[in-house]
Amino acid sequence: MDKKPSHARTVIAYIVLIILTFLCLFFFYILVINCTRSHQQIQAGFSFLPGSSFSKNFNSVIHDAKLPVLSGIKNSLIVSSCCAVLATYFSALTAYGLYAYDFKLKKPAFIFIMLILVMPTQVSAMGFINVITKMGMINTLYPLILPSVAAPAVFYFMYSYMQSSLPLELVEAARIDGSSEFHTFNRVVLPIMKPALAVQAIFAFVQNWNNYFIPALVLQENSKRTLPILIAMLRSADFLKFDMGKVYMLITIAIVPIIIVYIALSRYIVAGVALGGVKE
Amino acid sequence: MAGITFKNVVKTYDNGVTVVPDLNLEIKDKEFVVLVGPSGCGKSTTLRMIAGLESITDGELYIGDKLMNAVAPKNRNIAMVFQNYALYPHLSVYKNMTFALELAKVPKDEMKKKVQWAAEILGLEPYLDRKPKALSGGQRQRVALGRAMVRDPEVFLLDEPLSNLDAKLRTEMRSQISKLHKRLGTTFVYVTHDQTEAMTMGDRICVMKDGIVQQFDTPQNLYDHPCNLFVAGFIGSPQMNFIDAKVKKTSTGYALCFGDAEVAADRPELASYEGKTVVLGIRPEDLHAEPQFFGKGNVIDAYIDLDEMMGSESYLYLEYAGQKMIARVPARYAKRAEENIQLAIDTETIHLFDKETEKAI
Ligand SMILES: Nc1ncnc2c1ncn2[C@@H]1O[C@H](COP(=O)(O)OP(=O)(O)OP(=O)(O)O)[C@@H](O)[C@H]1O
Ligand SMILES: [Mg+2]
Repeated sequence: MDKKPSHARTVIAYIVLIILTFLCLFFFYILVINCTRSHQQIQAGFSFLPGSSFSKNFNSVIHDAKLPVLSGIKNSLIVSSCCAVLATYFSALTAYGLYAYDFKLKKPAFIFIMLILVMPTQVSAMGFINVITKMGMINTLYPLILPSVAAPAVFYFMYSYMQSSLPLELVEAARIDGSSEFHTFNRVVLPIMKPALAVQAIFAFVQNWNNYFIPALVLQENSKRTLPILIAMLRSADFLKFDMGKVYMLITIAIVPIIIVYIALSRYIVAGVALGGVKE
Repeated sequence: MAGITFKNVVKTYDNGVTVVPDLNLEIKDKEFVVLVGPSGCGKSTTLRMIAGLESITDGELYIGDKLMNAVAPKNRNIAMVFQNYALYPHLSVYKNMTFALELAKVPKDEMKKKVQWAAEILGLEPYLDRKPKALSGGQRQRVALGRAMVRDPEVFLLDEPLSNLDAKLRTEMRSQISKLHKRLGTTFVYVTHDQTEAMTMGDRICVMKDGIVQQFDTPQNLYDHPCNLFVAGFIGSPQMNFIDAKVKKTSTGYALCFGDAEVAADRPELASYEGKTVVLGIRPEDLHAEPQFFGKGNVIDAYIDLDEMMGSESYLYLEYAGQKMIARVPARYAKRAEENIQLAIDTETIHLFDKETEKAI
């Protein structure tokens, strides 16, 4: 009697999930297929089968003298990895400071950080460009990396995670064991925070990998540019030489590192790292 | 050299609650002191102040002769077993134990020897490579003990370290900790709820209530000469009987009257209580069913509500003259529930308390 409706529910659930999966992956599929097809083939319409122009497209992307793809990848990798590391580490450090210590300005500090969270990047962009120009950092990668030290959203995530998973007794135990505050953070707190760090590292990496707005303002030389800017440059290149296969190839190249980073970090996203430490 | 001295120590939490109003306590070097008291009386707070995990609101705390108020926990050279274990969840049992040793730069082979030694005593050898997650509550507690044991601190602080062990293991650990204390010759401060632990392990016991030290004395003295009703009721199991009795002057001295009983008490201090009611305290084992105690006019004929046969002895829950009592008598002299029994009160061992101040007379 009660088997039937649940069976129907399962079927519906699967259908919905299949549709959603299809919607998500279909565009990746088109992307990957199209990077193997030539410009004419792509313009002729869309196909489920790969074409034969993979190496041609690849070579035309890599060997385009006006388009420093390799240095673009390198720059993007540097910026995104540094941002991921800095954002997670310093946000965790800040969150730990507010979580584990009691001091007078604790509440105001928290509110201040939350206020920064609601401030859009665009609002402060002019001032930001002004400052880095005066500091001589225009057209370098530093202005893209250093600000990630202060990442309010990451901070908030870390703070919530600590509240749920970091018993302060562990910190106290470490203190009694003779550990300095900084050592405690690095050796006891960070390992327990691993899942949160991995999640936020992935987010920060992807976000900075895709970031266009600030790099477009800051970077002026071709050799300094990051991938999203190169992709935009390629698309807005002159119409005569416009090659769709090449664009698809570049976009495909651009998503590979993200997938690698995701696979590498996702194994740290496991539940229960903090389990068993204290009696509930 | 590391005694611990509290001088007028006050602890007020941030929410304005004063948990310890004025603590004066002198724990001698190498002494094993047990803190007991009802839940929430401030035992853990006191211990945490020694460890430096709670700031001291007012007063002075000395370890040895050094003022400790502003010294960080890591510089106090103490080891502590937490009430809720506080194991590092990401480290194996072995690494949990060596965490402090690595910081102290103890050589690797010495470290290994120490962990081996502690693991053997605690029965943890099969678990050294496991994470705390994969251990039972009792095993975790033993790891917490082990983590403190491998160190060479000046002061050992233990917050109910045996609360999660089964009876057998608890007895074993009790003697292990006592041995450890003798071996290390350091100061131990031990918090517990368990009477047996307190009585068997402590050189001295500090009975606390609402953050105030009621009595700080050897187990024997606490048992024989409790300084007030609270201590008298807290130490000893089953609890001491408290009976309201009237003081009457007799030809030889004074007598305490309740029901038909008149218990002689030759105490000159009772003069000021003549005609008033005092609290008479009688330990359950001082109510005797054995015939050799009869015949001094101190026998009561009590009704047995309930009896608990414990094997060699029997606990009798009695009613006499409208007051409840418990007697602990040898099994072969005991009677069963709903009968009456003759019991003699040992006048040598009675305790007397002022009804108003609750202090011992
Ligand atoms: N951080 C805190 N802030 C405010 N009050 C606290 C705090 N920690 C403890 N207290 C209060 O202080 C009192 C004493 O607590 P404490 O933990 O010292 O008791 P305890 O004697 O160890 O009890 P138990 O035997 O249950 O462990 C309790 O009433 C508790 O509510
Ligand atoms: Mg406690």
